[in-house]
Amino acid sequence: MTYQLGAADLATEADLRAVQERERLLTAELPRVREAATAWRNGLGGLLAALVGFSLIKGRSDISQLAGSWAVWVGILLLAALVAGAAGALLLIRAANGRPAVVPASELLSRNTADHIEAVTAAGALRRGIALTLGCAALLVAAVGATWYGPGRDKPVLQVTVPGGTVCGSVVALANGNLTLDTTAGQVTTKLAEASAVQPLTSCPQAGT
Amino acid sequence: MTSDNPDEPLPYTEITDETYAKNAARDFTVTELAYGTLALRGPCPRCRAFIEIPVVSSIFRSSRSIGSWARSRAPKSGEAAHKEPMMCTCGDDHPGRPEDRSGCGAYWALVITPPAR
Repeated sequence: MTYQLGAADLATEADLRAVQERERLLTAELPRVREAATAWRNGLGGLLAALVGFSLIKGRSDISQLAGSWAVWVGILLLAALVAGAAGALLLIRAANGRPAVVPASELLSRNTADHIEAVTAAGALRRGIALTLGCAALLVAAVGATWYGPGRDKPVLQVTVPGGTVCGSVVALANGNLTLDTTAGQVTTKLAEASAVQPLTSCPQAGT
Repeated sequence: MTSDNPDEPLPYTEITDETYAKNAARDFTVTELAYGTLALRGPCPRCRAFIEIPVVSSIFRSSRSIGSWARSRAPKSGEAAHKEPMMCTCGDDHPGRPEDRSGCGAYWALVITPPAR
């Protein structure tokens, strides 16, 4: 199961020129990959920096102000963006600078051959790095958008126990010892002096529970 | 194509001969280093310097590869036999060699037949 070599027809001068051109391209191949990877790394780094700067301009910036499920999804988006960004950055750095590897002397190849294999590997890393970094940017945009436009967390409510039962709702006003709550049945005013308990809650218990 | 004085290096001459391909086919070994990349190793049929010739399926160029340029010459496992032109790439001293060239100037062509899979 090995490659077989055989003599071909007499080579022509055109063959020689083609081989010389291939030799020239192979010699400069790895520097071209490194140059492209460095340019992509710098460009995408600038893009991400601009995105982060843009997200700081305005809008809600604290996911704790988001409704519960939205805050969870934004957290997942940010985690995915972090993972994609870190992996993309590492791949771009690897493409631009190579891998710090020690090769056994018995496996040494000629410079053109070794450089070509490294160039192919670096080009693959460059393509994956670009995709991951752009994915990171998209995830960041989605996270920022969800943070800006997602529904806010419900206002905290108070549950007041009075002789006639319990009243639960968000605070509307507090004046002269009277507390006005906005409940599902409308605004209800109770006298704090008659209350036996006042309890802050994130949301009122459902009727019947 | 040998020099009169055995101690004198061969001059650089772009030349081919039927025996070059026959000798290379006999003396060279093939190693598959990676998918689409072969290394042919053996002595140059003219200057006898030991050389390694990469045979590749694609070459990176800027944002796109020039695979179509190289694929017609490069072998991949399972593909049909094809002609592969090559030249001496030795680093030995050969008087008269232009600065942008390598080897002694000898060139030839081989037919590379992939193993049946």
